[in-house]
Amino acid sequence: MAGKAVSYGLIWDFAIAQSIDESQRWVLSAMQRYGQQLVTMLWRVLGNEQDVCDAYQDTFLRLAHYEGRRRPEHIKAYVFRTATNTATSMLRHRSAESRVIGRHFAKEARSGNPVSSPANELDSKYLQETLRCCIAQLPEHLRSVITLRDLAELSYAQIGAMLGISAATARVYRCKALQLLAVWMSKGKEKGK
Amino acid sequence: MTRINKNNKCRQIRTWLYKTMSARFAPDADWVQNHIANCQRCRRRMASIGKVNLALSIIKSQPHKLDLLMRANTKAIGVLKRSLREVPKAQRLKTVQPEPKLLERWSRYKHAATNAAACIAIVFLMKTGVFSSMHKFQAEGQKAIRQYYTAQVGQDLADEIFSA
Repeated sequence: MAGKAVSYGLIWDFAIAQSIDESQRWVLSAMQRYGQQLVTMLWRVLGNEQDVCDAYQDTFLRLAHYEGRRRPEHIKAYVFRTATNTATSMLRHRSAESRVIGRHFAKEARSGNPVSSPANELDSKYLQETLRCCIAQLPEHLRSVITLRDLAELSYAQIGAMLGISAATARVYRCKALQLLAVWMSKGKEKGK
Repeated sequence: MTRINKNNKCRQIRTWLYKTMSARFAPDADWVQNHIANCQRCRRRMASIGKVNLALSIIKSQPHKLDLLMRANTKAIGVLKRSLREVPKAQRLKTVQPEPKLLERWSRYKHAATNAAACIAIVFLMKTGVFSSMHKFQAEGQKAIRQYYTAQVGQDLADEIFSA
């Protein structure tokens, strides 16, 4: 009797597992649908292929384990917001690391090349990294909008739907984010001097 | 009907307002440019915003390797359940390459399509215009000749000639 119960239990577990696996195919569909756009956005945010792969993996792992492996109501919004947050935390981690390294090599930097110089101003890598660091420091609502608008190239209407705000609010947030970034980037330049 | 008209009017007013405001207050407006040229603070502000835009454009213009999507998919699929990993779709995703969007793909035919559409439109307009004008000329000419005959030979004879 007990053996029969165990076997029924096993069959039941197997059936549940099968149904979850079947229902989780939407993860692959999401990957197929948004993968390209997501990779482009992550590449623009992070600028490093290894980090892009890590952030991408993390995003889909979270999606697959979302609230008991259930499908989120708005997959696109979930995927993009998760990817943005993951990439931002990676950027913050990276900038913290570079600050530690910077302190370590401070003496050399003082005697050698200045952090910001006219040559650096025109250096695209310097500009990109500065902007990335500044974006990572923005408040979440502004950061999400500027990342989704300028780096993922989504429309204001799509961004509004994703973040639960109106398209006009998204426009205002982007404007504010640009102003803040401009101030921070020019401050960085003054600090460098 | 009234509501639609009202909405259209609202839209028109909004468009006019936007055009007027942007012509008067856009960064390209003359008085703004003159002010910026003479104000150091505004010049600095504009320069820093320009710098942010430049950095954004540089970031956007950097291409990634073609196989990045493939690698990212392979890595992400690698941590999913085995049953999901073995699905044919997963295998396809591991070898997928970035593809341009449908609009981008067809954009090279944009000019040809526009030209063809313009030609068709011109031909259509010409045909409708020419034929309707020809009918009009014919009717008007017939009317004039009938009037002439009526004046010259009388109503009865003219009716006889033109009814035949």
